[in-house]
Amino acid sequence: MSDVLEVRDLCLRFRGYSGMSEVLHGISLNVRAGERVALVGESGSGKSVTARIVLGLLQELPSAQVDGGLFFEGEDLNRLSRRQWQALRGTSISMIFQDPTSSLNPVFTIGTQFAEVLRRRDPKLSREAADERAGTLLQSVSIHDHARVLSAYPFQLSGGMNQRVVIAMALANHPSLLIADEPGTALDVTVQAQTLKLMHDLVERSGTAVLFISHNLGVVREFADRVFVIYRGRIVEQGPTPAIFEDPGHAYTRALMAAVPRITGGGLPELNDSESAFLDPMVVHEGGKA
Amino acid sequence: MTPLLSLRHVSKTFGSGPRAVHAVRDVSFDVAQGECLAVVGESGSGKTTLANMILGVFGQSSGEIWFDGNGLPTRRTLEHRSAIQLVQQNPLSSLNPKRSVGASIRLGLDVFGIGARSDRWRLVEGALEEVGLPGDFRRRPPAALSGGQCQRVAIARALACQSRLVILDEPTSALDVLVQARVLRLLEDLRRVKGLSYVFITHDLSVVRNVADRVAVFRAGKLVECAETRAIFEDPQVDYTRQLIGAVPVVADDELKLRESLSGGMLA
Repeated sequence: MSDVLEVRDLCLRFRGYSGMSEVLHGISLNVRAGERVALVGESGSGKSVTARIVLGLLQELPSAQVDGGLFFEGEDLNRLSRRQWQALRGTSISMIFQDPTSSLNPVFTIGTQFAEVLRRRDPKLSREAADERAGTLLQSVSIHDHARVLSAYPFQLSGGMNQRVVIAMALANHPSLLIADEPGTALDVTVQAQTLKLMHDLVERSGTAVLFISHNLGVVREFADRVFVIYRGRIVEQGPTPAIFEDPGHAYTRALMAAVPRITGGGLPELNDSESAFLDPMVVHEGGKA
Repeated sequence: MTPLLSLRHVSKTFGSGPRAVHAVRDVSFDVAQGECLAVVGESGSGKTTLANMILGVFGQSSGEIWFDGNGLPTRRTLEHRSAIQLVQQNPLSSLNPKRSVGASIRLGLDVFGIGARSDRWRLVEGALEEVGLPGDFRRRPPAALSGGQCQRVAIARALACQSRLVILDEPTSALDVLVQARVLRLLEDLRRVKGLSYVFITHDLSVVRNVADRVAVFRAGKLVECAETRAIFEDPQVDYTRQLIGAVPVVADDELKLRESLSGGMLA
């Protein structure tokens, strides 16, 4: 199967007062067509910057230095002009952020924002046609009173409702890659479960590939086909989801797994503080390699 | 034995007339000495309103709150305030960024008049050491500490005031799993050593399963189920509890089985 996204030996450095500090030390990952790939790690491990690099957002920052290969559907992203890159965002690559309420603009109605998204692919779309299309898209995320939602402002809707609106927007232009940065983390467990299920069904139906960024191993297990575990800017383990969860090979992955409290009980996890083993070489599971 | 904290038919209504919001409705429960009671429920279920009433941030509309055998007045005495402490969700915003963490801890000692004035810095350092931080951390600003360390400071601040009941409002949801595991272990050890009681407000049921003695499930301001932790997880009586457990993302196979036996799974 062909790769929708391929990241090859990606390095990121930030220029600071005390010289350069390296944040990503050469990570490689790939997402195949229609596949759900998770990038798991703690805060500060480099998950979100990876997503921002794929979108070309960090490259615009003067203090960031990005090296490495980025390929989207076989095309070298590094050779795109700013304008070409901008044309990709929101059409072929779209993104869902952690907090839906703050990723929507509070001073415009959902309808206006939806029309803006749809016009990225079809600039001549009339507002009526946009509203109609937005209506069908909202139906697909189980929002049935779409007329009310389209005329509402984001703060008039609940967090779960906003998240569904954002998912509908992200999938509106049939992207071939969706980047989801901790979707649902800001939501209640029950709402999170509903939105994940919804997203799962939608991407399956539309064949969209997903790069799913999360720190929650449980969510990753439910959602992803393949997992990359990232620790301090290095990929430490990669492989198909069942293989990683049944037989975690890397010390860091094992520590992460052990630290998750279980609903079957058994008390708090015992932690051994041998963090030196976290810097061991990468473990690759069968079927994890492209 | 009289329970440390007991609530009897406590309600809280904000506003009046047709636009009144009934945040908490007719809630009664007890927390024994040394017990950890988990309060779970989704956003808007009244968890935080409940915490604010126990802390005395505002009074209840009706009902009574008893602490250690005495009814708590709406205007709390210093004694009550020092005995009931709060640890909030996000330590970076609950600690004053312009104060050193030591000064934040010491403020409580000064207000409640705990220890001799000359002795208080020593008490502050002792409190920091109790939560596993070096005593000289007291000179640092919160910005120089990691999230987990800040949360330890917040816990130290609650302990330094000689509290008996600590309200933990989502104490670990802003932390990574590895850090969360350490903070939970610390809370557990402190409870055992000092005989503290906790009201543990959270929406993370897998944490609840491992730290709480009893669980109170809230929905829309009402207490829908309150039972021993094991009973809640193995034989929930209310559909809503079953739904909540069914929505927990899990990592192990035996967890999956338990969850499926209750609700048919998260992505079912």
